[in-house]
Amino acid sequence: MSFSSVLVANRGEIARRIIRACREAGLRSIAVYSDADAEAPFVHEADHAVRLGPTPAAESYLSIPAILAAARASGAEAIHPGYGFLSERAAFARAVTDAGLIFIGPSADVIEAMGRKDRAREIAERAGVPVTPRQDPDAIPADAYPVLVKAAAGGGGKGMHIVRSPEQLGDALATARREAAAAFGDDTLLVERYVEAGRHVEVQVFGDTHGNVVHLYERDCSAQRRHQKVVEEAPAPGLDPAVRQAILDASVALCREVGYVGAGTVEFLVAGQDAYFLEMNTRLQVEHPVTEEVTGVDLVQWQLAVAAGESLPLRQDDISCQGHAIEARIYAEDPYAGFLPQAGRIEHLAWPAWEARVEAAIDGPGTVGTAYDPMLAKIIVSGADRSDAIDALVDALDETAVLGLTTNTGFVRRLVDSEPFRGEHVHTGWLDDPAASAEVLSAPQVPDAGWEFAAALLAPMDDGSPFGRLDGWRSAAGGRPLLVPVAGPSGKVRPVSPAADTADVVGVRIGPRVLAAVEGHSWEFHAPDGVRRAHAALAGAAEVTAPMPGAVVTVEVSEGDRVVEGQRLGTVEAMKMELTLAAPHDGVVTHVAVEPGQQVAIGQLLIHVEPSDEADSDS
Amino acid sequence: MTHLHDLVAELRERTAAARQGGTPTARERHVARGKLLPRDRVDQLLDPGSPFLEIAPLAAYEMYGGEVPSAGIVTGIGRVSGRECVIVANDATVKGGTYYPLTVKKHLRAQTIALQNRLPCVYLVDSGGAFLPMQDEVFPDREHFGRIFYHQAQMSAQGIAQIAAVMGSCTAGGAYVPAMSDETVIVRDQGTIFLGGPPLVKAATGEVVTAEELGGGEVHARTSGVVDHLAEDDAHALQIVRSIVDTLERPSAPAYEQREVLEPREDPAGLYDVVPDDPRVPYDVREVISRIVDDSRLHEFKPLYGETLVCGFAHIWGYPVAILANNGILFSESAVKGAHFIELANQRGIPLVFLQNITGFMVGKEYENRGIAKDGAKLVTAVASSVVPKFTVVIGGSYGAGNYGMCGRAYDPRFLWMWPNARISVMGGDQAASVLATVRRDGIEAKGGTWSAEEEEAFRAPIRAQYEEQGSAYYSTARLWDDGIIDPADTRRVLGLGLQAAVNAPIPPTPQFGVFRL
Repeated sequence: MSFSSVLVANRGEIARRIIRACREAGLRSIAVYSDADAEAPFVHEADHAVRLGPTPAAESYLSIPAILAAARASGAEAIHPGYGFLSERAAFARAVTDAGLIFIGPSADVIEAMGRKDRAREIAERAGVPVTPRQDPDAIPADAYPVLVKAAAGGGGKGMHIVRSPEQLGDALATARREAAAAFGDDTLLVERYVEAGRHVEVQVFGDTHGNVVHLYERDCSAQRRHQKVVEEAPAPGLDPAVRQAILDASVALCREVGYVGAGTVEFLVAGQDAYFLEMNTRLQVEHPVTEEVTGVDLVQWQLAVAAGESLPLRQDDISCQGHAIEARIYAEDPYAGFLPQAGRIEHLAWPAWEARVEAAIDGPGTVGTAYDPMLAKIIVSGADRSDAIDALVDALDETAVLGLTTNTGFVRRLVDSEPFRGEHVHTGWLDDPAASAEVLSAPQVPDAGWEFAAALLAPMDDGSPFGRLDGWRSAAGGRPLLVPVAGPSGKVRPVSPAADTADVVGVRIGPRVLAAVEGHSWEFHAPDGVRRAHAALAGAAEVTAPMPGAVVTVEVSEGDRVVEGQRLGTVEAMKMELTLAAPHDGVVTHVAVEPGQQVAIGQLLIHVEPSDEADSDS
Repeated sequence: MTHLHDLVAELRERTAAARQGGTPTARERHVARGKLLPRDRVDQLLDPGSPFLEIAPLAAYEMYGGEVPSAGIVTGIGRVSGRECVIVANDATVKGGTYYPLTVKKHLRAQTIALQNRLPCVYLVDSGGAFLPMQDEVFPDREHFGRIFYHQAQMSAQGIAQIAAVMGSCTAGGAYVPAMSDETVIVRDQGTIFLGGPPLVKAATGEVVTAEELGGGEVHARTSGVVDHLAEDDAHALQIVRSIVDTLERPSAPAYEQREVLEPREDPAGLYDVVPDDPRVPYDVREVISRIVDDSRLHEFKPLYGETLVCGFAHIWGYPVAILANNGILFSESAVKGAHFIELANQRGIPLVFLQNITGFMVGKEYENRGIAKDGAKLVTAVASSVVPKFTVVIGGSYGAGNYGMCGRAYDPRFLWMWPNARISVMGGDQAASVLATVRRDGIEAKGGTWSAEEEEAFRAPIRAQYEEQGSAYYSTARLWDDGIIDPADTRRVLGLGLQAAVNAPIPPTPQFGVFRL
C-alpha cells in the first residue's frame, strides 16, 4: 500500500499545503495545472508539474481523464484530491482506484453514500445522529416555514435557499433546481425545516483501514454569508458540554457505521440544546488548520499515513484540544457590493508576519481571474483563549494588504472585531440579515490614515534647493503647512496633511496611484488631475451591462418589449452567484446583444433599454 | 530679548495685518462670490508646501491713508509645477484691485525681476484698472501703466512665458494683460475682459449689454478667442495655469552650480543677539556672515588689508557667493579692495552679496587729499559694471555714497532687502541738521544777524524728525525702495531663494568695466 509519489489534483493554497506535506514526508509531489495557473506558485513548488488543459475547470481540474493521464505520465502512485473540484466525486475515487492508484480519501462507496444528502441522512439516523425534520417539496404545511431548500447531491452552499413563505417557494425551487443541475448534474432537491439562529458546528473525524476512528474535536463556522464560510474557529464557543459530547460521539458513531477511512467532517446545526445533522464532508476541509492548531495534529500527514495503510498515529485519549484558533478566509470579492467576485491584478501583496499561519495561493503581485474559487488565502492565528485569538487575528489582518484588487480582508477584520462576534452571538443567518450585520456590512468611510498615507506618498520631494524645501516658508510669518491634494477612491479631492509616520499602513505608490491597506481594507488614491473636471456621465444609463465576468444564463426579454423599471431582463451566472439583470428605467428594449450560454466580460453591453419618453417620441 | 527681537515682532505684526488685504466686509463679499482671496490663490497655484518669496508685502505701508495694504497687489516668486515663476495677483478686496501709483510700481518691479532672472510670469487678474483719481501718477509716464504691457511684449519676445488667469474684472487697459499674454485662462461666470464696461458702452453707443455678454468667459473662450482656457472656478483656473507652466521649456544650464547644502554651524537665530541694540556700537560683521553661509565658512580675501570691508567667498544653500560686508567706515584701501574683489567675482561668474552697514566714506583733508573720491569711484564703477547677479541686504545704515559703493537700489541688484533695524538716507539726521544749520548760520551771520542756540535747535529738530521718519525701513519699503523688510534670521533663506531665482538667467561674459581712475 505504500507509495512514494503523490499527484495533487487541485490548485491554489491547498495544492501548496499538500505539496509541502509531501516534501516533509519525503514523497515526490506532482502538480497539475490549467493554462490559467501555469505560473502559479504551487506549480513551481511541486517536484514535477503536468499541464491538464485549458482554463475552464471542466477541461482541467474537473477532467478525470486528464488527471489520470497526468498521473500516468508522471508516474504518480497516489492522488490527493484536496477539497472542492473532484474531491467528493465517487466516480473520481473509483477511476483512480481502477487505474491502480491510491486515492487519498475514503472509498468511492462511502463518498457516494455520504455525498448525497438524502442517503447521508438515512445513515445518520441509523447511527442515532439527530436530524432535522424533512418536508416533501410538494406538500409543505403552512406552519412549517421557514424551510431550507437544498440540492440532494450537493455540498457547500450551492443551491441552498431559505424560504420564509409559501409564495417564495416556487422561485426558490426553480433556482435551486437550476443551480443543482449546473453544479452537480442532478436537480434532486431536499426541503428541511430551517433552524433560525443556528450555529454551524462541525466535527473533524479520522478513520484508518484498521478500524480505528477518532474525532479531533469540533469547529464553529457560523460566520457565513449565503452559506459560504467566512471565519472558522476551534473549539466552538459557547457550546454546551453535553451537546459537544453528543455530537463528538455521534460523529464517531457515524464513521463507524460506514467504515469511514481518512479525514472527514460531520456538520451539525446547533441551536441551544439541540443539534441536527446537516451532512458529512468526505474530504479535508478548507478550515482544517484551526483543528491542527488546537490539536497539534498535521491532518494532511495523517491522510498520507492512512492512505499508506498505517494506523492512526494517536488514540482518542491522546488527542486533546488546547487554546483557541481562528481562521479568516481572504476572498477576492467586494463585501459591500453583494460579495461580487473580483478579478484583476494584485499590485502589491503583504501577508502578516510570523505570528500568523498563512495558507496562501499566491505570495506576490499577480493576476486573479474568475475561472475558479476566489479564495486567495487563509490566515490562521491561535491564542490561549478566544479573546486572545481574536486580538491576534485583528493584528494579523491589520498587517494584511492585498492591493489593487478588492478583497474581503477589511470586512473580515471588522467582523471578527465586532461586538456580536466577540460576544459569540453570530449565527449562520447573521451576515445574511442586513439589519443585524449592518455594522460590518456597511461600506466603511475612507479612513484618515489612508488619506494621510496617500498624501505622504504623493507629497513632493524636498530637492535640497531653497524653493524645493517643503516647509511652506513665508516671509515674516509662520510657514504654510504642506497639504497634498489627494483624490480619494470616489474621485473627491482633498488637501491632506501627510502622515509623519507611515508604518501603520501597508501600501505602495505606483506612478500617480497610491494603494493602501488600512485595517485590512484596501483603498486606492491618486494624484488628482486638477485640469480635468468630472463631466456628468451622459452615456451608459440606458445600457444594461455585465456586472461581472460570467455566463449569460437567461435572457427574458426580446427587442421591442416594453419593460418597467426593476423588471428582470435576464440573469448572468458568475462564480457561485446568479445575478439578476434589472431594467434601469421604464422603457423599450431596443437591443439584445447576447444569448443564453454566452460568456461575457465585465462591462459588456447586454441589453439596451431606451427610456420611455425617448422611446415614445421615436414612435 | 534684544531690540531686534522687538523689531521683528513688530515686523511680523505689520506684515500679518497687510496680508489680510482689504476690509473684512470686502473680503467677506469676495469670498461669498466663490472667489479665493489673492494669497489663497497664490497658495493653490504654488507647488504644495513650497516657499513663496513675496516681494514687498508692506508696499504702500501708511500711504494713501493706510487703505491700500500691500499696494493692492500680491507679487513674488514661487515654484509652480517645479518651475520658479513670478506671480502677480491683484487683490480685489483692496479698492477693487485698482492701480494706485505704487500698485503700478510694484507690478513693474515684479516684471523687472522676471525679466532679469528669466522667470515665467503668471498674472492672476482681478482689477478694475487704473485708480482714476490719481490717473496723472498712474497713466502717462515711462514707468507707468503702459510699461506693464511693454514689459509683457519684451518678455514674450525673449521667450519668457506670460500667462494670465482672469479671475475677476479686467477692464480697459487691464484687458491687455490677458490679451498680451502667451496663454490665458478665464473663470466662467466670474472673469470679464473688455476695453469698455457696460456703463461706458451705454454712454458711448447706447447699446445695453450685460458684463457676461460683453466679455465673459464663454464669450472669450468660444467667440472672441481672447482666452484659451475656460475654467469652472478659481481652483480649476489655477490648476490649468499649473498645467500650462508644466508645458514650458525648462531653463538651460544653470548660471552657476549648486553644491551640497550645509547648514551654518552658527544658528541664524543668533543674529538677534549679534547686532547691538545701539546702532552706534560697532560689532564684527563676520558674526553675521557666519550665520548666513554654509558651514559658517568664509574664504576671506585680503583679511589684513582694508579691514573695514570684509570680502570673501562662501556658499549659501550650496550656491557660490562673493560677499562684501561693511565692518566700519570705508577707507581708500577698503574701496580698492572691494573693487578688486568684484572683478574677481565677475571673472569667476560668482554672484555678489552686499551686506550693507555703512555710514559712508571717510572724510577729511588727509583722505580727500589721498584721493578717496577716486577710490570710492573705483568701487562704484566695479559695482555698476558688474554682470554677475547682485544681492543687497541692508543690515544697518545705508548712508550717502556708501549706499552706491555697496550696491544700493540704483545699482540694479537682483534683489534688495532690509532688516527692520536698517536706516537709509543721504546722511544721518544729526549730520543733515548740522550741515543745514551751519549753512543757515553762515547766511544769517553774513547779513550781520545772530542766531540763538534755541533758534538753532528749533531749526534742527524738524530736520532730525524728518530724517528719522524717512530713514526708516518701513518708509523705504512702503515706496518700494527695496523688495521687503525681512526677519534677520531669514537672511540665509531669502538669499538662497534669490540665488535660486537668479540661477535661471545666464551670466553674460566678463564685463568691460568703466574706466577706473587710477
